[in-house]
Amino acid sequence: MNFLLETLKVLLLSLWFSLEALWRTVVPARRKSVAGETVLLSGAGSGLGRLMALEFARLGARVVLWDINEEGNRETATLIRETYGTRAHCYTCDCSHREEVYRVADQVKREVGDVTILVNNAGIVTGKKFLQSPDTLLQKTMEVNTMAHFWMYKAFLPAMIAGNHGHLVSIASSAGLVGVSGLADYCASKFAAVGFAESVGLELLAAGCDGVKTTIVCPFFINTGMFDGANTKWPRLMPILEPEYVCRKIVDAVRRDQVLLCLPRSIYLLIALKNILPVKLGLLLGAYMGTFDFMAKFNGRKKSD
Amino acid sequence: MNFLLETLSLIVFSVYYLMEAFVKIFVPIRKSVAGETVLITGAGSGVGRHLAVEFASMNVTLVLWDLNLEGLKETVRMAKEKGATKVHYYQVDCSDRAQVYGVADQVKQGVGDVSILINNAGIVSGKKFMDSSDVLVEKTLQVNTMAHFWTYKAFLPAMTEKNHGHLVCVASSAGLIGVNGLADYCSSKFAAVGFAESVALELIGVGKDGIKTTIVCPYLITTGMFDGCSTKWPRLLPILQPEYVAKKIVNAILTDQTYLYMPRALYIIMLVKSLVPFKEAVVLGMYFGAFNFMDTFKGRQKKED
Repeated sequence: MNFLLETLKVLLLSLWFSLEALWRTVVPARRKSVAGETVLLSGAGSGLGRLMALEFARLGARVVLWDINEEGNRETATLIRETYGTRAHCYTCDCSHREEVYRVADQVKREVGDVTILVNNAGIVTGKKFLQSPDTLLQKTMEVNTMAHFWMYKAFLPAMIAGNHGHLVSIASSAGLVGVSGLADYCASKFAAVGFAESVGLELLAAGCDGVKTTIVCPFFINTGMFDGANTKWPRLMPILEPEYVCRKIVDAVRRDQVLLCLPRSIYLLIALKNILPVKLGLLLGAYMGTFDFMAKFNGRKKSD
Repeated sequence: MNFLLETLSLIVFSVYYLMEAFVKIFVPIRKSVAGETVLITGAGSGVGRHLAVEFASMNVTLVLWDLNLEGLKETVRMAKEKGATKVHYYQVDCSDRAQVYGVADQVKQGVGDVSILINNAGIVSGKKFMDSSDVLVEKTLQVNTMAHFWTYKAFLPAMTEKNHGHLVCVASSAGLIGVNGLADYCSSKFAAVGFAESVALELIGVGKDGIKTTIVCPYLITTGMFDGCSTKWPRLLPILQPEYVAKKIVNAILTDQTYLYMPRALYIIMLVKSLVPFKEAVVLGMYFGAFNFMDTFKGRQKKED
């Protein structure tokens, strides 16, 4: 009896949500305002982090910038001041060091206040074939791309839970949903970031903290220099993305409380196919899409930290 | 023109592979592993022990690793009872990179090259994320994910040279779906899946088709590791017996199966998860008891470190 009732309830809810999703393709969810929120972005000294910081500043949020690169961070703050006249708070921090994260987080809480939107964006990539990657770099990739998220959550999530208000944004990668030749450690770290954000997202829901939202971002290659040299085979289907476009879509997704954002849209299809097709067929499709050659001519940033 | 030809070839091969996959369901082809050297981490108990016992009657050389020496000796005794004649065991802390390399060298010198590597050792802390100790969170990543990096680094080169080998990653269904109460465990298992998948693609990309990969994602197993956890609909998602899991894993190795999800309902769940919007997935998750899975978790009574 219990089983029948529950199954019926689930079927009805499923129908409702399917209709709602269909409706949403025509009428997107309203955008919430982020004016007055305190947004902390890691890796704000360059690339996507910088652009998102600017966008959040434009929308009236208080912006806290973290980066290991002090100069880049200050440049972002200068750009914000010059463009919008608002002051961004800069902190130099190596996110891979747990104690440093906690120390700087305490500073932020004292000097600025509680963070309400946390954007875990800082990321590194080695870009070598696995057996040629130095162990220290493998370790570093996991520390920056995954473990930093743990420490950031530990530092800033309690206040969000206490106020049942907040937003956790994880800038992962489509390489966090599907493996890529030449990105073994990067994929491991991005898969982990996705799994972590998803788990904690569910944990918050189960605890009744429905005011704390989660957005997981999985873009394809972005033209910021991080993946310089990477190429795509069919640019119509899987274009190398422009950072401004990605930034707009991310901030938009945050404002609409969207949980998973994949860019471009063909990634959604890719993931669905990955779960349907037999392996050999998946590989065939992968080869057809050029996935084996994505990293063939990878250069990365000229001067890396 | 190129696009047309490639697309045509894609369609032709797709049909072929679909038919091949269909036939394989009814006529599985099993390879022989006689003469292979099988290394199992975490062989001192649970699934690792049962794997050793399964392989014992298959004329292989067994190399067993575990942190727990007593457990290892018991596994050795059981394997010998089942007919194993070549069994070697080593006490190793897989989270210690230097130790992994040191013992790996011992194995290479004392036993020979490993041709089947089974990364099975795993730990779980089982606390809500904000209540988990940072040290345990780091340890979970080190044992469940990074240990795989080091064992691959130690044993993959020889496999690559001979273009012969098998890499087995014992991950978890929590490496495919986030679970309330398993944030760090999920991170580590998602990472293990992403890593194994990426390296598998990398090997195919460089033409090493003689090295196979099997990624195992089981649901709850009665080994004591997740003692106390319960399943909501045992018909759909039964708690698995370790003997059954070990048999299925060995079968997957013999048939070169790349993904092994247990129980079969997981294939459907993963497919549905990739197709439906998040809200819907949450409703389904609740229906399957995913939110309360860890509510009564106790874990192993006495944990060795």
